[in-house]
Amino acid sequence: MHAPLLTYVTFLPLLGVLGILAVPQRSDAAKDVIRGIALVTSLLVFVASLRIYFGFDSSVPGFQFVENHPWIPSYGISYHMGLDGLSFWLVLLTTFLTPITILSTWSAITHRVKEFQISMLVLEMAMLGTFVSLDLFLFYVFWEIMLIPMYLIIGVWGGPRRIYAAIKFFLYTAVGSLLMLVCIIGLVYFHKQETGILTFNLLSLYGTGIPRTYEILFFAAFALAFAIKVPMFPLHTWLPDAHVEAPTAGSVILAGILLKMGTYGFLRFAMPLFPEGSAFFTPTIIVLSVIGIIYGALVAMVQPDIKKLVAYSSVSHLGYCMLGLYVLSRQGVEGSILQMINHGISTGALFLLVGVVYERRHTRLIEEYGGIARVMPIYATIFLVVTLSSIGFPTTNGFIGEFLILLGAFKVNKVAAVIAATGVILGAVYMLWMVQRVFYGEITNPKNKLLKDLNVREVVYLLPLVFLIFWIGLFPNFFLKKMHTSVDHFISQVKIGTPYLAMKPDKEPNVLRASANGLFPKE
Amino acid sequence: MSEVGFVFSLSQLWHVAGGQVILILAGLALIFVDIWLSARHKSSEGTIMGWFTVFALMATLGHLVFREWPLHDIVFMGVFSAEKFSVFVSCIVLMSGILAALMSIGYLRNNSLVRGEYFILLIFAVYGTIALVQSVDLLMMFIALEVMSLAVYILAAFLKGDQKSQEGALKYFLLGSFGSAFFLFGLALLFGLTGTVNLTILAKTLSAGIFEQPGVLVALGMIMAGLFFKMALVPFHMWTPDVYEGSPAVITGFMATAVKAGAFGVFVKLLFVTFTPILSLSGQPEFFTTVNLAALGAYWKPVLWWLALLTMFFGNLIAVSQENVKRMLAYSSVAHAGYMALGILAANAEGRMGVLFYLFSYTLMNLGAFGVLYILDGKERGAQTLEDYRGLGFKYPTLSFLMSLFLVAMAGLPPTAGFIGKFYVFSAAIKEGYLLLAALGVLTSVIGAYYYLRVIYMMYMKDAVREIVPGPVAAPTVIALIITALGVIYFGILPEGLARIASIAQQSLAFVF
Repeated sequence: MHAPLLTYVTFLPLLGVLGILAVPQRSDAAKDVIRGIALVTSLLVFVASLRIYFGFDSSVPGFQFVENHPWIPSYGISYHMGLDGLSFWLVLLTTFLTPITILSTWSAITHRVKEFQISMLVLEMAMLGTFVSLDLFLFYVFWEIMLIPMYLIIGVWGGPRRIYAAIKFFLYTAVGSLLMLVCIIGLVYFHKQETGILTFNLLSLYGTGIPRTYEILFFAAFALAFAIKVPMFPLHTWLPDAHVEAPTAGSVILAGILLKMGTYGFLRFAMPLFPEGSAFFTPTIIVLSVIGIIYGALVAMVQPDIKKLVAYSSVSHLGYCMLGLYVLSRQGVEGSILQMINHGISTGALFLLVGVVYERRHTRLIEEYGGIARVMPIYATIFLVVTLSSIGFPTTNGFIGEFLILLGAFKVNKVAAVIAATGVILGAVYMLWMVQRVFYGEITNPKNKLLKDLNVREVVYLLPLVFLIFWIGLFPNFFLKKMHTSVDHFISQVKIGTPYLAMKPDKEPNVLRASANGLFPKE
Repeated sequence: MSEVGFVFSLSQLWHVAGGQVILILAGLALIFVDIWLSARHKSSEGTIMGWFTVFALMATLGHLVFREWPLHDIVFMGVFSAEKFSVFVSCIVLMSGILAALMSIGYLRNNSLVRGEYFILLIFAVYGTIALVQSVDLLMMFIALEVMSLAVYILAAFLKGDQKSQEGALKYFLLGSFGSAFFLFGLALLFGLTGTVNLTILAKTLSAGIFEQPGVLVALGMIMAGLFFKMALVPFHMWTPDVYEGSPAVITGFMATAVKAGAFGVFVKLLFVTFTPILSLSGQPEFFTTVNLAALGAYWKPVLWWLALLTMFFGNLIAVSQENVKRMLAYSSVAHAGYMALGILAANAEGRMGVLFYLFSYTLMNLGAFGVLYILDGKERGAQTLEDYRGLGFKYPTLSFLMSLFLVAMAGLPPTAGFIGKFYVFSAAIKEGYLLLAALGVLTSVIGAYYYLRVIYMMYMKDAVREIVPGPVAAPTVIALIITALGVIYFGILPEGLARIASIAQQSLAFVF
């Protein structure tokens, strides 16, 4: 029996919370101590999660590091955690982004530091818990716990319309997730009817025979909860508000990880639990994803506020993720997971970069800037790299994700693939246009003449992201190979009895994968 | 009936209803203690009386837990029963009473209201509620209901000279009498139809065939109306906001938990012993016609379906528009009654267990919230509006955190007992196929989350507009708050133990007498 590594990783942040609670928040020095504790804790979590990395065996299709203890036995609820290729990188992304985010708040959050860092650590705990839960009840608990710290982060440390944004964020998410809870319980009782066993164990619930109507209904409720989180096209309206009003750290976590909860939810829960419902809604979801891609890009183009632009670009990028999932081929799903990671890295980095200038100038309007590449050369360089990654420039990570998704999509639905591909062009338009207006040309605004370039701390937290952008971009197989077996298993789970896709069998999966490998040499 | 040949025996009375005996004796003793204290130790009167009450209630609790819990017996000529269900509900009532007594010590001092009769009335209110839950005799039920109600009416009016308190108490009294009258009519009708006031014999008589008579239905309807009034289900809730807002804060907490627990307990008992016997006498399948009697469900279930929905919906909806936190909590307690009604509607073991768990956890979080509320208030009605709560979060971190914790629990978010309670009642309802009602119910709880969170954002996200001076925090209140806060978290993370006890408790309904 190995050590309960996932428990350690998940709950380690709470240890930091205890430490922080012990420090009174009186002087600036005490605030630094608090920040330091938070940073060290999150770094320790990252180090602990590296042990997951080294212990992970990508050839095993099932779950690893499994911990299973009865929790509320009379309801068949257990403390069941595990990790597979679908959640592996998301967990690492979480542990990787959190210290960076905390480091970025060093000078951005100056009041109520203690409460802020506690919220961050509790949030990290909930996020990790969500990714590793294999019990629907446990998952739901973590899923809901996540809401409160995020609500506080947006509402207490956010911008002028923070309360509106925080409540909107909370209510949108709560509506979806509570309906999901009802359907979770419904599913559990259907399972009990069928097998006589009352259990919330996800692995037992897979493949429960549910009447078709209910399966569609349940999928719809799950999909609603997750689609709000993703956010998919008509449900995205909370996102720009939450992103714009949240402090930089909040935006980074929101874009980098919380949105992935939605796509991960589809991947882990909604689709494999209700394959028939999923098949029923496949056309709808593909259409909405494509609309999201184009709509997000078009709206991003006209935003005067950099942060809002990035927020809408998230809608567009997450549209790719959803499209990739519903392609239901290895390229599509792996591309989708990789795109989740990419989006976490590049959009997270973009929010951090926006935060950097916001801290200096207290404005995010594009028209306030112009030509600042002259005064901030390092900043401009990093910004450009991240931009290229965001628009899917070859050799950066964005390219791999989008390419795989489009490749997969093209085989299943040419129209969707073609329309989605134009989203890449639109992405280039709005990002590069924004970069041009902000960084190049003459310095039009005299206030920008004295802008300071990045300091060491800022470079320190941005460089790992830049490094990853190229790492994924140049050696994608290093990342993809961890997913292969789990993704194949996922596809086999979801594809059972899906008439929509059964018509178009995946004839030559290996040929295309080989070509993808040919394009990207192994490391 | 042969089994009614009860013999009056003091030792048996003590054995089975010792808790009630302790309460009556303590209540009477307290009258003399009060006279003695007010003559000599006027200054420490509140503290001594308060602690006396706490210990009396704890002694009762001890008796209930250690002596009455294992029993399954009837006493006092077939009037009271000691079976696990009643004992469990009585324990909730006692817990509520103990917490309320602890908080009252500080509350009375903060409001310079120290008068001895407060604690005496509190003890009698607890006594009435316990007697109500334990009685298996319709007549005794009514008497106990009145004992409880009268004590609570007076407590509601305890803020002498405060208009709202007087207004609320009078409304409570008038409407409460109205509700009691319904209850009494129902009982009278049942007695007329069956010639008995004993719950079990009633069940037998009814299941013999007369259950479909219109008279029985009318009686059932009247009894339900009378009890719904105490449970504050919409549309029988009209008195709640005024009374809850007007009464002393701690009493409001007590009413919203103990009185509610008593009413729910007796309703469940009536419904599942008399009107839909779940099993039979002593576990033997004697009621061959149980299925017939269960057909009564066709009459009361639709009613409860709609009432539960309306209660959840209106309770939460109207709470949104409240500016006064205490009044908001009053409406929220209406909404909580709706969630519990959902558990009763499910009419299965999980549902009854869920209701018991919900009552238990609700008692903890609600009293906790009222405890914090009265401290922040300073003097009653000093700072109760949402505006007053602005910016308290960082000024009084501990109190604000506790308030947030209790509100989050009421909103039903994990990892609190409130979430588990909701989970139990909802899953019971879903198990019986009330998927639509459950879905609508959780949507109303989103409305609930909105106004609970509004208090939190007022505390943490707005800046203060005026200076608030919370009252001094008395040590007993600290104890009560620690108990409630730990309880809310503990039962949110490890609910299995309590759920198991509640499950055993509800099973005993199957073997009543």
